[in-house]
Amino acid sequence: MDPYVVAIWIVRIAFLGGLYLFMFGVARLLLRDLRAAARDPKGALARLVVVGSDVSEPPRGTVFGLDAVATIGRDVNNSIVVEDDFASTEHAVLTFRGRAWYVEDLASTNGTFVNGQRIDALNAIAYGDELQVGRVRFRFERARR
Amino acid sequence: MTASSGAQMRGAAGRIRPHARPRETGLLILVAVVLVVGSISLGATQRQLAGQKLSWLPADAGQLVIYLGALVAAHLALIVAGRRSDQVLLPTIGLLGGISLLLMERLPQSLVTQSLAGRDFGLASIQLGWLLLAIAVIAIAAVAVRSDAWLRRYKYTWAAAGIALLLLTFLFGDEVNGALLTIQVGPFSGQPTELIKVILVIFLAGYLSEFRPLLVTESMRLGPLRLPPLQYLLPMLAMWAMALGIVVIQRDLGAALLFFAVFLALVYIATARASYVLIGLVLFVAGSVIAYELFGTVRDRVDIWLDPFADASGKGYQVVQSLYAFGRGGIIGTGLGAGLPLVAGRLPIPAIHTDFPFAALGEELGLIGVVAILGLYLIVIERGLRVAASAADDFRALLAAGLTLVVGVQAFIIAAGNLKLIPLTGVTLPFISYGGSSLLANGVVVGLLLALSDRGVEPPPPPRVAGRRRPRLLGGPAGAGR
Repeated sequence: MDPYVVAIWIVRIAFLGGLYLFMFGVARLLLRDLRAAARDPKGALARLVVVGSDVSEPPRGTVFGLDAVATIGRDVNNSIVVEDDFASTEHAVLTFRGRAWYVEDLASTNGTFVNGQRIDALNAIAYGDELQVGRVRFRFERARR
Repeated sequence: MTASSGAQMRGAAGRIRPHARPRETGLLILVAVVLVVGSISLGATQRQLAGQKLSWLPADAGQLVIYLGALVAAHLALIVAGRRSDQVLLPTIGLLGGISLLLMERLPQSLVTQSLAGRDFGLASIQLGWLLLAIAVIAIAAVAVRSDAWLRRYKYTWAAAGIALLLLTFLFGDEVNGALLTIQVGPFSGQPTELIKVILVIFLAGYLSEFRPLLVTESMRLGPLRLPPLQYLLPMLAMWAMALGIVVIQRDLGAALLFFAVFLALVYIATARASYVLIGLVLFVAGSVIAYELFGTVRDRVDIWLDPFADASGKGYQVVQSLYAFGRGGIIGTGLGAGLPLVAGRLPIPAIHTDFPFAALGEELGLIGVVAILGLYLIVIERGLRVAASAADDFRALLAAGLTLVVGVQAFIIAAGNLKLIPLTGVTLPFISYGGSSLLANGVVVGLLLALSDRGVEPPPPPRVAGRRRPRLLGGPAGAGR
């Protein structure tokens, strides 16, 4: 056999091998990401970020992870406690029902607002929507995975 | 419940601090090594076949160095800009583009020639130019796009622009292989369909994210199907009509298939309702039957697909030659530069650089190489869907998923067409086929994906609901509450 032909053959195979080496490299990064995600068990289904709160608690920038049912109000037993004069004791509740998120106003005095519109009883809410309870404005976001 | 006060506050926008991208650096080094090895393999094989002196120099070292230089420049731009975007996309696209460059260096340079400023450029040089432009587009979009407001706010403007482009093609387009595809402006010609697919995704993401709550509500039940209010089915019909229109007017089956597939996928992602997909599939089958009965082009494609050997030297010629090419390639291929035996002194597949690069790669890299290339597209899809899954709101999620699917579905359509898995439709293999429009449009796609993958990107604005007032101060009595 001509050594040159053999050498060309080896280079050829090396190129194919290189393609797989690249994929292996990407797969390893993916595995590392997955392991990191597994070590970090944030069970939250969605997030609520405070985007506007001048005089009340919680302050701007606070992030809440949401379970399937999350209540909002002034009472300390709520999942998200809003210290605001315009919020009711039990103001609103966010629920995840299999496919979509809903927000329900619990007959609050000043109402619950989604994107600036007052909602009655039960309303669908989408990621990116703005939720207002009292003088506190939240943005409803996807959970970070 | 967890509340991390203040910790998640977004940093002040505008400050730019370089941020290292070690994963991207590592993968790019790997890409460079692989491409240099490929180039050496190509050069050695070509010299051996031409009976020249043996040497281990790469096939065209200059072009390879320029290309790798552009990748490094894009990498450095991303580091300096300090965006925390995905680190796998750029090397993967770089590898696909590099394979494209090797393939174009390997094909006869006379396939495409262009004179510019008194110099003649062949296939590989022109492709290199487009690849550099595509990398520049990726880098610019990935660095500069910090807000998606201009995309989400003007969705109807985008839709209008897309339709205008479509009409332009219809009015001023030139016919290529029986399809009305290209627009000629001066010395340059472009395929608007490539850009329209990006615009379509932007519009659909905007439309679906705004009307998602309405689309999910059900008002009718038709047997096991749960249907939304009838007026929200209209865009579905409009989309179907547009896809059919592309088939009828432009005779561009590939684009129609791509648009409709991406549309259905996005509707499903937005609503998670199988009934929409079912309705879409029924419409698709009905449209296909109508198109088959009415249009010769469609009938030809399907007949070729069913039995290319019935007219192996006529209509089925390219597909038959493509199958032969895959056959010659076998498992490990003939090696870069050793494939493509000429038939009667001519290339067996005339459109090998645009529609059949997958067949050329199948011959020279074999099953192993082709599977690797499909794997690279899978990586692009995985990264894109990951961007979609971690997006902050529906618009971004749908946009990222749609952009990803445009690339993924297009790669599938043409690869499957080359393999006679589905009827052949002329779309490009993303980042590998020759062609400026395709490379630039796909560059925009990847650039936007990189921008969207940035975790520190400007938060999405609250959605504006049509016909409703902006958020207003509460008008309740002071000291309210129970």
